[in-house]
Amino acid sequence: MNYIFKFPDIGEGIHEGRIVKWYVNKGQSIRSGDPVVKMETDKVVTDIPSPRDGTIVSRHGSEGELVNVGDALVEIALLGESEQTASSETKASHVAIVEEKGFGVVGKLEVAGDSAYLPVSEEGRLIRSDGVAGLKKKVLATPTARAMAKDMGVDINAISGSGPAGRVVKNDILRAVDGSSKIPIPKSAGEQLPELESPAVTLEPLTQIRKTIARNMIRSKQSAAHMTVFEQVEVDRLVDLRKRLNDKLSEKEMRLTYLPFILKAVGAALTQYPRLNSQMDMEKEQLIIHHDVHISIAIDTPDGLMVPVVRDVNRKGLLALASEMAVLAHKAQLRTLQLADFQGGTFTVTNYGAIGGTYGVPVINYPQAAILGIGRIMKSPVVRGDQLAIGYLMPLSLSVDHRIVDGAESARFIRRVMDFLSEPDSLLLV
Amino acid sequence: MFDQYNPLEDKMFQVMDQEGQIVQPQEVLALSDDEIFEAYKFMLYARTADLMSVSYQRQGRLFTLPPNLGQEAIAAAAGKQIGVQDWLVPAFREMGAWLLKGARLSDIFMYWGGYEEGSRFSEAPRFLPSTVPIASQLQHGAGIAYAMKLKKDPGIVFAFVGDGGTSQGDFHEALNFAAVWKAPLITIVQNNQFAISVPVAKQTASKNLAVKALAYGIPGIKVDGNDYLAVYSVVSKAKQYVAQGLGPVLIEALTYRRGAHTTSDDPSLYRSDDEEKLWELKDPLRRLRLYLSGKGLWQESLDHELEEEYRKTIEQEFAIYESQAPYPLENVFQYHYQDMPENLKRQLKEQQRFIKWQEVNQ
Amino acid sequence: MSVMTMVQSINNALDIALAESQDLVVYGEDVGVEGGVFRVTQGLQKKYGEERVFDTPLAESAIVGAGVGMAAAGLKPIVEIQFSGFVYPAFNQIVSHVSRLRNRSRGKYTVPMVIRMPYGGNIRALEHHSESMEALFSHIPGMTVVIPSTPYDAKGLLLSAIEYGDPVIFMEPKRIYRAIKQEVPEEKYTIPLRKAKVIQTGDHLTVVTYGALVREVLRAAMKAKEKGYSIEIIDLRTISPLDRDTVVDSVKKTGRFLLVNEGPSSFGVGAELMAVVIEDAFLHLEAPPSRLSGYDTVPPLPKGEHHYFHGPERIFYEMEKVLKF
Repeated sequence: MNYIFKFPDIGEGIHEGRIVKWYVNKGQSIRSGDPVVKMETDKVVTDIPSPRDGTIVSRHGSEGELVNVGDALVEIALLGESEQTASSETKASHVAIVEEKGFGVVGKLEVAGDSAYLPVSEEGRLIRSDGVAGLKKKVLATPTARAMAKDMGVDINAISGSGPAGRVVKNDILRAVDGSSKIPIPKSAGEQLPELESPAVTLEPLTQIRKTIARNMIRSKQSAAHMTVFEQVEVDRLVDLRKRLNDKLSEKEMRLTYLPFILKAVGAALTQYPRLNSQMDMEKEQLIIHHDVHISIAIDTPDGLMVPVVRDVNRKGLLALASEMAVLAHKAQLRTLQLADFQGGTFTVTNYGAIGGTYGVPVINYPQAAILGIGRIMKSPVVRGDQLAIGYLMPLSLSVDHRIVDGAESARFIRRVMDFLSEPDSLLLV
Repeated sequence: MFDQYNPLEDKMFQVMDQEGQIVQPQEVLALSDDEIFEAYKFMLYARTADLMSVSYQRQGRLFTLPPNLGQEAIAAAAGKQIGVQDWLVPAFREMGAWLLKGARLSDIFMYWGGYEEGSRFSEAPRFLPSTVPIASQLQHGAGIAYAMKLKKDPGIVFAFVGDGGTSQGDFHEALNFAAVWKAPLITIVQNNQFAISVPVAKQTASKNLAVKALAYGIPGIKVDGNDYLAVYSVVSKAKQYVAQGLGPVLIEALTYRRGAHTTSDDPSLYRSDDEEKLWELKDPLRRLRLYLSGKGLWQESLDHELEEEYRKTIEQEFAIYESQAPYPLENVFQYHYQDMPENLKRQLKEQQRFIKWQEVNQ
Repeated sequence: MSVMTMVQSINNALDIALAESQDLVVYGEDVGVEGGVFRVTQGLQKKYGEERVFDTPLAESAIVGAGVGMAAAGLKPIVEIQFSGFVYPAFNQIVSHVSRLRNRSRGKYTVPMVIRMPYGGNIRALEHHSESMEALFSHIPGMTVVIPSTPYDAKGLLLSAIEYGDPVIFMEPKRIYRAIKQEVPEEKYTIPLRKAKVIQTGDHLTVVTYGALVREVLRAAMKAKEKGYSIEIIDLRTISPLDRDTVVDSVKKTGRFLLVNEGPSSFGVGAELMAVVIEDAFLHLEAPPSRLSGYDTVPPLPKGEHHYFHGPERIFYEMEKVLKF
């Protein structure tokens, strides 16, 4: 391969020189350090030595001729370096450096070409009103709040803040997540998780629903002071009533499950014990007691737990409740439940008895005050008078937020519910 | 004169020896006995103020300060010849010159008492404030001298420095610049033989300090700094030389720092009683007393009278300082820029807020 | 109107100032006869005479120190330190006197002095010719530090500095002394001190920079634009006292902040700006404020320079980090 030796900038700030005398000819072999040419510049007359061993392939310029720094002087065929491409010693500068003699004394400064220059600035001479950069609508929030919003997939700028100077605080975000539409966080490009293919595990990416459930569960447990009361109630009369009512219904109409009765019982009891139909507002240090009873019903779907709301339980009859619940269940299976279907619940009932559980410690549906878990109705030994008999027992598990509801009150409430369930006739008096 | 007293020969110019005897008769005629008597009285005043300052410091009414004891002749003799249009660039141990330039004693007390206002010397123009980094003021002197020359202003610059200061690079650079510029700068080196505890023998290998002038191509002369008449004469000659535009002059005035470096210094740690006693005999006021006595112009009772009178004046000046209003917070911020920048405004406001908070929470 | 490089525009500013005021003097090493090693003072001695434009002996401390005296005596000195790497002997005079005389004398004496020096690196030079120590000066109470980025600004800022009643350290980014040409009017105009300039508006990220790096940041911003990012660029111009408001208003809008400069990173200009942004725009931040500066090392000799001096790609890389937080 050939090496092109260009006239180097020998550091005196020169940019051209005159060839005084050639020391080499074409075909001549040369050693590194041997003089190639005698050059005359404004500052010195000096020999330029070869930087390489090899043979002179060609010479550029004749004696007496002016050459510029960077022009090729000689081409040298190098010894035994076949893989090198023709390289140049001095990097051809892409900017035309026409350094003035002696400029700067040290270093190399870039010099702008003549063709391009910046336009003049207006500043300092004309009176100019600088357009004030309009501040985009943005909320005030601490970095931790922003981080929380980001984790929960909420646009913090859409939340109105209740903190100092309208600052968005944690509770605002939590409240917003409860009902707001979620903006998906785009995955940053190129940051995929590494693939882990191993027979011992299966990786299941979290669905939105799973994420929501996870968040809600944690939120509930972290805010409410959970306390659970366990009871069992004899429901022979209820069992009987349901059978008789269902017999009266035509085939076209809804069949009654126990749930409508339970809803009525709970709704009636809540009228008497409204504190279990409330929610805690720690920020404003107040209890929000709801007048109407909207009961969230826990529904198990293939996607996970959903808790749509049956509104205005106290104003609806058994059949209305039954049909409403059926519609919700149906929508749940089809995944057509709307946001509004989830909003506004004041109390929750979860019926795991249908699946077969007895007692549980249900997690309160944030931000409500209580949740009632219904276990399976089973034939069990009961004591009537002093006699042992067989009766239908329904297990109840009531979790309350102990911040709001004391033990005595929760006991009285559940007693009331049990009264209605064991003597369903009394519902007619409500 | 500069040729006669070539510093290379370590010659020292003296008019009156330590016993008050004139050894250079023709020079005495430069000052009349009345003038010498006035000079003595002034030096006594300066010394009294100086001793009282030390006393005030020991009473906790002034902060650390440098006593002038034993060096009064230099400040008085040079100071007497610094005109209104001349510049005084001080070091810190030439109080007599400060007073003669027009500074009030109350200003001086203000400065050593901890107020920047003391450096304003509102009644003394062309007088830079004293500054701490040793010898750095000499460069200022060189610059002022250049300005005087450029503006064709007749003012001459008198800059003071100590023997320690001659080791600093700034001393060398300033004299070099002034010499190249042929600027009207008179540099007076008070060689009191100590830079805190370091004796001048350890400060330089040169024969004396005046000889350094030769390196810059300017005249240098060594004079007995405790001899008022000699110092007066040398400064007068230097003024004439400089006023002709011939360039700067270096004067080494040999004296002895009879006091401590500052009121926080203990000389007993590094020098002997014998040495101090030796230099007591060379004291500038002592020899003038002997001379004036000989002329029937001085007796001991005079000193007592004068000291009493001076004490009263000095106490009055001190009272002015002590009645100063407390240092206002704004003054910490006010004088850094012609227009206070945002950061300073903020910091001032925050401190003001803190003060209000203190008042409420007290 | 002429097309000028920064060298020419500064020369033009000095020319205008010398003509306007008889008390103005320009001096330093090699500034008189040779016109300065970068030719910034070329032709001035011939025009204004040796008394006002002159060469001094080689002593930086005295160059600045004598200037203090000249200022006290009523002159207006514009001194040149040949390279910012040589200013260190004058540091004592700068800290102890230039910046303090007004306070020390309670305003009786002031120092309306300009200390000019070429600064900054990436020019394949020897050691001490690539320094970027503006943070040291910015930390001095009473001092003003100005760094222009274009020929137009250099002239306007220098004329302001000359008119200003307090000392200014005017640091000229030598890397772009001749690399930028711009239309510059020949008449006098001034650009205010203590005022930063928004040279490009954007919504996603505020980048603050100055000197030779303004050009590099603009290039990086173009690359960012291709990726859909809109970058707001602020040229500080006066480093100290800082124009907090311009920077803070911008960060309140974008929520993200990056400082790009040359000097050592720790305890530098970036640290101050980050503190300011946190103090005044905390609740608007979407990402921690960040800085891209030189390493805490001495700038390497030419063969190692490419490791040290950050170009548009590295700047863009840093921008992305902040944008993607």
